[in-house]
Amino acid sequence: MLNRRGFLKIGGATAFAALFGGCERLPKTLVPFVIPPENYALGESLWYASVCRQCPAGCGIVVRNSEGRAKKIEGNPLHPVNRGKLCARGQAGLQALYHPERLGKPLKLDGPRGSGKFREIPWEEALRLLMTGLSSVRAEAPTALLMLTDPMRGHRNLVSARFMKAFGSPHRVAWDPFGQDAHLSANEAVYGVRDLPEHDLAGTRYLLSFSGDFLETGVSPVHFGHAYGRMRAARPTVRGKFVHFGPRLSMTAASADAFLPVAPGTEGYAALGIAHVMVREKLTPAAAAAGRLWNAGLKEFTPEAAGKKTGAPAADIEAVAREFGSNQPGLAMAGDAAASCTNGVFNLSAVGLLNLLAGNVGKPGGISFPDRLAAFASFGAEAKLLLPAAESGYPALRDAVERMGKGAFRMALLSGATNPAFTLPPSLKFEEALLKVPTIVSFASFLDETTSLSDLVLPTPTYLEEWGDDIAPAGHGGEAITLGQPVVAPFRDTRSMPDVLIAAAKELGGPAAAALPWGSFRECLDKAYAGMGIDLEESHKNGGIFSGKADAPRRAPKEGSPALPKAAEAAFAGDPARYPLVLHVYPSSALSDGRGANLPWLQELPDPIATAVWRNWVEVGPKTAAALGLSDGDGVTVSSPFGSLQAFVFLHPAIAEGVAAMPLGQGHSRYGKYAADRGGNPYALLPASVESATKAPARHSTRVSLVKTRMKGALVRTVHPEGQWLYENIL
Amino acid sequence: MTRNAIASILALAALALAVLAPTRSTAAPPEQPIRYTHKVHVTDYKLDCRFCHVYAAKSASAGIPSVAKCMMCHRTIATDRPEIRKLAQYWKDKKPIPWVRVTELQEYTYFPHFRMVTYGKVPCLTCHPGIDKDDIAVQRQEFGMGWCLACHRGRGVSIDCWTCHI
Repeated sequence: MLNRRGFLKIGGATAFAALFGGCERLPKTLVPFVIPPENYALGESLWYASVCRQCPAGCGIVVRNSEGRAKKIEGNPLHPVNRGKLCARGQAGLQALYHPERLGKPLKLDGPRGSGKFREIPWEEALRLLMTGLSSVRAEAPTALLMLTDPMRGHRNLVSARFMKAFGSPHRVAWDPFGQDAHLSANEAVYGVRDLPEHDLAGTRYLLSFSGDFLETGVSPVHFGHAYGRMRAARPTVRGKFVHFGPRLSMTAASADAFLPVAPGTEGYAALGIAHVMVREKLTPAAAAAGRLWNAGLKEFTPEAAGKKTGAPAADIEAVAREFGSNQPGLAMAGDAAASCTNGVFNLSAVGLLNLLAGNVGKPGGISFPDRLAAFASFGAEAKLLLPAAESGYPALRDAVERMGKGAFRMALLSGATNPAFTLPPSLKFEEALLKVPTIVSFASFLDETTSLSDLVLPTPTYLEEWGDDIAPAGHGGEAITLGQPVVAPFRDTRSMPDVLIAAAKELGGPAAAALPWGSFRECLDKAYAGMGIDLEESHKNGGIFSGKADAPRRAPKEGSPALPKAAEAAFAGDPARYPLVLHVYPSSALSDGRGANLPWLQELPDPIATAVWRNWVEVGPKTAAALGLSDGDGVTVSSPFGSLQAFVFLHPAIAEGVAAMPLGQGHSRYGKYAADRGGNPYALLPASVESATKAPARHSTRVSLVKTRMKGALVRTVHPEGQWLYENIL
Repeated sequence: MTRNAIASILALAALALAVLAPTRSTAAPPEQPIRYTHKVHVTDYKLDCRFCHVYAAKSASAGIPSVAKCMMCHRTIATDRPEIRKLAQYWKDKKPIPWVRVTELQEYTYFPHFRMVTYGKVPCLTCHPGIDKDDIAVQRQEFGMGWCLACHRGRGVSIDCWTCHI
């Protein structure tokens, strides 16, 4: 008889047979294309060059296309900005393309306004609704049309600008939470040029960064990452030194030779302390300017005074100043945290003075102002529309919100990744005001907090499926124009915003049709670049027009006669007794301002410092935490005078004491299943206050309190900091 | 019969089931979405195989023609036949045709068509015998290792393991 053991043996063999015997070989069907893609060859990869739009840096990409599908995105080696490199956000663009929640059909509101409930409608109906709205607004009150976008560049911006002008409405607002208003104003004050500069990181010997997290976020992280590598290792006899001042050890700060924690908003004082030592010890080639500054009051800003303000040891400031002064060319840069305090322009102007004193303006290894307009001389007055716009657009947006609230607009056209309903301080009441506009039309690929408020959503192709052009804001001397092309045939039934605007203008007729005289956006691009006398097909193969020869940079007229910036303290809202910590917020290296939160690859990308994934946290120093009775991994309620949220504590080993830091990007209430409900939104803690000179948003201007709270779950980290970093070894 | 003998027979039967189940019958033609006939195209009208299987000369896979390729001719030819109407319907709906795979390779082998076709100058019918006479295509040649090696040896080409098993 069979015993139990024997039965199991035979049973196992039978199960094996059933399992593998029934397993027929793959695949069972061969499904060819209906119409094969252009240049398609089965089993062969094709690489298409285009432009990345995952952030505003404008890197060149090449995309591997196999069997008509985009399989991999890499950096374009010919592109001067990123030179064949690409960051994680760029790589994750594929997930935007294949995203299960991407909109593939126009959506019409199917519920109360703002509910985010929609039903799909055909394009004919959607365009009819759009045209009915546009025609009636145009006939009755053309200025009642609002266009709210992210900052656009290239011909996409030109088409939008012409459309609004011909329509008769001046209300075109571009919102960028990380606009560079303070940089522009400081550059105007210090150098006499209101523009974005080029920093020659690769050629410098001594780099000072003031809260500039240029390696992970900022204007052009891949460009600066590559340049930083060359500064450190590409010269046979020079290894550039890098010193970072800032409230928190970011990934950039972690790459520095020395990190000096300073209190938030005191970067300007640290810079003036360094300038003081340079002038006092005659470590500057700009002797005339130095004398002028000294007499204008620089002599008051001793390293001791700077140390008192910033919390950094005066001896360290002095040592850094001596090294910086005697290692030329040296370069000083400042970043978002220094710029978005209420005294941002002061901070940046003080940092700018260091470049003047180092005598590096317009020199290799220094700062220069390229003439980016020169490449577009043939475009006349419209050339400016093609170039990167650095402003945040905050004053115009606040004005628009006020008008919306008063019912001044009858129709709003929304587009772009900057998602104002998520990134604006809640006290502005953007959502409430927007819903007072009777008709809201969005151009979007995803339903985020802003587009969910629409009455009509027109699905757009992703950047991998459309034509375009771009001029990067950093990394070239004005000689690079990036061209975008579809790297795959569009997957969904989408139309790009410029295409819809061109079609709408045609139907509106009159001046609108005359202003946008093309059949499609592609025709607009082709005609514009054919007029420049270039081989367009060759340029598309290369990913753009890279002449390799930049025109000479512009002069900095104030270089010889600098003025000492008026010292200003950063203001922080909230009573220090009730809100003991200063809040420092920084864009997440993966999710940026929040736009990457719907891509799982980016959600599961560990933060370079906290190594946490899938939600946010609040960073405090060990001493601050001990004083508050908090330990690593505790749940806390973070409260500011403007809002509160819950987060897990991350004991940061290198952060200025008295500071609580949070990454921006999480905390979505909409934006799909990967983004929604992953912690609180730190933008909701921020006041509506502004940088005093530019009226740009001042994110670093509030205090917070942390109160221990019971929270479900735990912060998921790939490395426990206690294991990796043992605080006692560092502090 | 001992208990062990019963167990062994049952185990052998189970093993035989596992081994034999994946082998294919070469006789029964599969049910295709359209009754496409190689005979009419290749034997009667003398179309070159590579007119439709365009990638055979340059790619690992010979490829199945796109619906657009079929419609190049069948926009005007034999449009009233029921099978061609089915084709036209696919074209009209812009839907691909889910052809059922006929020829299968052994697992863990690599068969680059372009090497055989372009460089080896092996005629298609060597590996796909009789397909030119088929009304509905069937696989008549199993690609056993012995059969492959015989040809490789006869032609004096590589029989290194990783020529085919990569």
